[in-house]
Amino acid sequence: MRPAPHPPATLTPRQWLKQLAQVEKKRLLGAAVCGVLAGASTTGLLVGLAWLVDQILVHARPLSELSGVFLILLALVGLRAALQWGQEALAFEASLRIRQRVRVSLLDKLATLGPQWLTHHQSGALATQLVEHVDALEGYFARFHPQLRIVLILPLLIAAVVGTLDYVVVIFLLLSAPLIPLFMALVGMGAERMNREQFSAVSRLSAHFVDRVRGMSTLQLFGRTAKARRDVWYATDEYRRLSMKTLRLAFLSSAVLEFFASVAIAVVAMYVGFGLLGYLDFGPASSLSLFSGLAVLLLAPEFFQPLRTLSQHYHDRATALGAAESLVFILNEPDWIVHEHSSPEHYQALCELKGVSIGYPQRGAILSHVDLTIARGDILALTGASGSGKSSLLALLAGFMAPQKGVRSRRSGQIAWLDQSPCLIQGSLAENLRLANPEASEGMLHQALARAGLGELLASLPYGLETPLGERGVGLSGGQAQRLALARVYLSDAPLVLLDEPTSNLDAATEALVIEALNAWARDGRTLVIATHHPQVLTIATRHLHCEGGRVLEVTP
Amino acid sequence: MKELVCAFRPWIFLLTRRRRVFLIGAALALTTIVAGLALLGLSGWFITACAFAGIALAAGLPSTLDIYVPGGGIRFFALLRTVARYVERLYNHNAVLTLLADLRFKVFGYLTHLDPATLSRRRAGDWLTRLTADIDILDNFYLRLLMPPLVALLAIGLLSLFIALWLPGLAVIVGISLGALWAVLTLGFAWLGFRQSYQQVRDQSALRNRVLDQIQASAELESYQTRRWHQTHIEALEARAGANQRRLAAKSALGNALILLVTGVLLIGALWLVSQAALVGDITSPVAIMLLLVVLGAGELFTALPSAFIKLGASYASVQRLNQLTPKAVSDEQLCAVFPEGAPGVSVTLNDAGYTYPAMLAPALSGISLEVPAGARVAITGVSGAGKSTLAHLILGRLAPSSGSVMVGVQAPYALSNDERANGFAFLSQQVDLFDATLADNLRLANESADDEALWQALERVALADWVRREPQGLQTPVGEKGRKLSGGQARRVALARLFLRNPSVVLLDEPFAGVDSDTARHLAASLDQWLEGRTAIYFVHQIDDVSLLPGLTYSHSLRHGQLDLSSV
Repeated sequence: MRPAPHPPATLTPRQWLKQLAQVEKKRLLGAAVCGVLAGASTTGLLVGLAWLVDQILVHARPLSELSGVFLILLALVGLRAALQWGQEALAFEASLRIRQRVRVSLLDKLATLGPQWLTHHQSGALATQLVEHVDALEGYFARFHPQLRIVLILPLLIAAVVGTLDYVVVIFLLLSAPLIPLFMALVGMGAERMNREQFSAVSRLSAHFVDRVRGMSTLQLFGRTAKARRDVWYATDEYRRLSMKTLRLAFLSSAVLEFFASVAIAVVAMYVGFGLLGYLDFGPASSLSLFSGLAVLLLAPEFFQPLRTLSQHYHDRATALGAAESLVFILNEPDWIVHEHSSPEHYQALCELKGVSIGYPQRGAILSHVDLTIARGDILALTGASGSGKSSLLALLAGFMAPQKGVRSRRSGQIAWLDQSPCLIQGSLAENLRLANPEASEGMLHQALARAGLGELLASLPYGLETPLGERGVGLSGGQAQRLALARVYLSDAPLVLLDEPTSNLDAATEALVIEALNAWARDGRTLVIATHHPQVLTIATRHLHCEGGRVLEVTP
Repeated sequence: MKELVCAFRPWIFLLTRRRRVFLIGAALALTTIVAGLALLGLSGWFITACAFAGIALAAGLPSTLDIYVPGGGIRFFALLRTVARYVERLYNHNAVLTLLADLRFKVFGYLTHLDPATLSRRRAGDWLTRLTADIDILDNFYLRLLMPPLVALLAIGLLSLFIALWLPGLAVIVGISLGALWAVLTLGFAWLGFRQSYQQVRDQSALRNRVLDQIQASAELESYQTRRWHQTHIEALEARAGANQRRLAAKSALGNALILLVTGVLLIGALWLVSQAALVGDITSPVAIMLLLVVLGAGELFTALPSAFIKLGASYASVQRLNQLTPKAVSDEQLCAVFPEGAPGVSVTLNDAGYTYPAMLAPALSGISLEVPAGARVAITGVSGAGKSTLAHLILGRLAPSSGSVMVGVQAPYALSNDERANGFAFLSQQVDLFDATLADNLRLANESADDEALWQALERVALADWVRREPQGLQTPVGEKGRKLSGGQARRVALARLFLRNPSVVLLDEPFAGVDSDTARHLAASLDQWLEGRTAIYFVHQIDDVSLLPGLTYSHSLRHGQLDLSSV
């Protein structure tokens, strides 16, 4: 699948939607053409109807003579239905393809933002953006966009037909027409702003909720569920308030159109009625017949119909713009993961840092002037108080973030990663292991589990490797989850293993396993960088770095 | 079919509890439709009457036509249609959104009653889909599935009765064909799209979980360079979901085409019939045109139906999931047990207690007998997975023992209400829950009325005060989602600080010294020693490395494979 067009530095939601429409322009155009032709069939049907009425009632022609016209009208009815179906099917297909492309490009973007960026954002809100907000684009492309084009053509077509029947009516229609977009624009602008607010409210609401549900146990333990529940009600009621504001305006735009369509029927009926009575002696009124009178009466509401449909779909546009705004925000974020092209100069070096500063956009540098060369086979222990920058240095070595200053050069390739809270994905035990090596055979999985001390667990699982695991290691205890992370490292051939506090929060048995694993990897010639306080781990290390006061110091034994 | 009715019944009951609001909304919708049909019919009658009067006048024949009453009627209906439409939409949407807030409140209430066994099984992402999307879909029920078909059916009835005043034959044809169309668009389309729209809800939930995985496992996926591999799962899922949506959309489009086809054919048939009736003189020409135009306007009755009913399966999926949340356990109101008074502390007694998680073969705990005297401190040691958390939840009464008994003082803790439990116990769990708010908010979770002084004191006790003082925002420092902006050790100490803000009788501490260096551990141990005076305390630890960290410990038990052995300190 080809990714969606890559956005320039700062992309506005409108530009982005326009670019997306461009990708599927053929189908969207096809849908609009179908819509216009369906409208034309309706026009033909109504004019034919008026002609038949005139012929039968005024000119008293027998029905049998006119059966051919009846058949033509039936054919028009069939054609109109088919065209309507075509419009909807084509536009939906376009919308589906666009949404799929958008999701791919967003996933790709999240990949270039990387894990370090993601820890600074709520994953629940991001998931909402990638699933619900992308789906919120559906109506815009499936309904609003084709209708926007239909509105430009169809009313003119109907006006032309009305014009051949009676030019006074067409003047009335054309004079009232420009007022409508004006009203709608006024109403629409308000609705759009409201909709943006509503969208961020929905997003906040879901983030608020995920957070409360995750901590439900804690809320229960502190007896705070009632308050959290009230908070949920307030959040929802705030959402209702915002929604009503949007709707009050959104409905106003459809009321304006309803008004024009109703008034058009009323005015045309009056004009035609008085004209037929002979009360009007200006313009074409005197030449009105039941045919032309009835035809213009029936066509007058049809003239407004495309606009009415557009206004029904107006909220699709507002919804899409709201969604686009939240999505464009992600697309406009500068990348955090920068793939450098330079490898370390020395062939034995895996990674080199020269005069590097590490920090976050709002917080300034955490570590600065870091000069470090990691050679193959090094076993590097990283110590320092919590918050001293150990984790950030690991993230920099892993490539999850770029240095603020200085030069980092790394050998490309896989890295093994192990932190305090290993992430379990939804899926089987096998899938959770294959995360480190998708090609691993079942035999390799068994072996890795055995080496990580999970052989006994595996034997006790009812479905073996196919046993499903839950989120955040629930189902597995903390120690078991950490062993699973060890198994992942065993499965990968990555020469560099980065470990963030691998022994914290573990029982003695698991801790021993971790230390044994570290020794095994060292024997295999892997390079280890371990952020740790554990005395036994420190004895394995061949080098020892200490983070303090924004600097990294090498401790010589 | 029976399942369907069963699943929807409680919610339909809830939706129609505000019967007056529903009826007013329906009446407004019907008014809009009737006004539109009347406007069209009357206009047709008027111009035809004018045409024949004009022809008569031109021929020099006398003709009288009252033009003021129909003229006024036309203006009235034009205005009525506009106003009724606007009011109807606002009224009904407000009703629906009020209902929405109530529904969400109710569902969150369900969630607060769930026990730890259930809570740990479900993913947070799943909950979210439940509370927002499911309820939104259920909300849809009111405005899209309940009201429009009712209003359309009433309008079809009124329309047929109106036509029957002149042409009963045509009335029967219109009534039957529109009635049949109504049935196809509601019941028929509900059946036609059921499976696919049901699937669509499941697909979206599955997609969301996968995307959440991709985000949360990004460190692993990025470093092992397996992001593309995981993303192919998402793409495959999306392709399947897309194919399903496509079929559903094709069916929905079919509905709109069907409306155009049936009403179009009916219109042409009606033209044939009214013309014949007018030619033989059964009805006048103006009436013929009026009836014809009323039939022409009938198409508008149906426009909202196919797209709504094709998605009935989605509503069913949502309702099904919401129904699963209904609390089966006794509700909070029925739990009236009071936490026993007592100083120093309250005793904790387990007698041959056991617990088996639902859908698990082996018990997590069995034959646990334990006696902790009031004010005593004991330790339970055991490796991960030995059942320490389950034991803690049994003592807290958050799980009811499957066998044997658990008593706190003279009370079975399972009978305690949430509030009583919160007042009597404090529990530092292995998994720390910090909320995405400021540090102060997270601390005040434990005690709403604690002043800054008290917060600083609590932070001092866990040796975090110096660090917080260095942070530019101090107590207002945001901790991030799941407390991610803090290190693991800091987050645990914040959780411990929360306990110091409470005044419990029984304290359960799961690995209070995990993730901190030995100096900090000694500081925490000293704070705990002081604070635990006069309380009953149970430590849950992997092993006792340093007994000086657990001062006042009377004895310890070791938990192995769900069973308890006594060992002395």
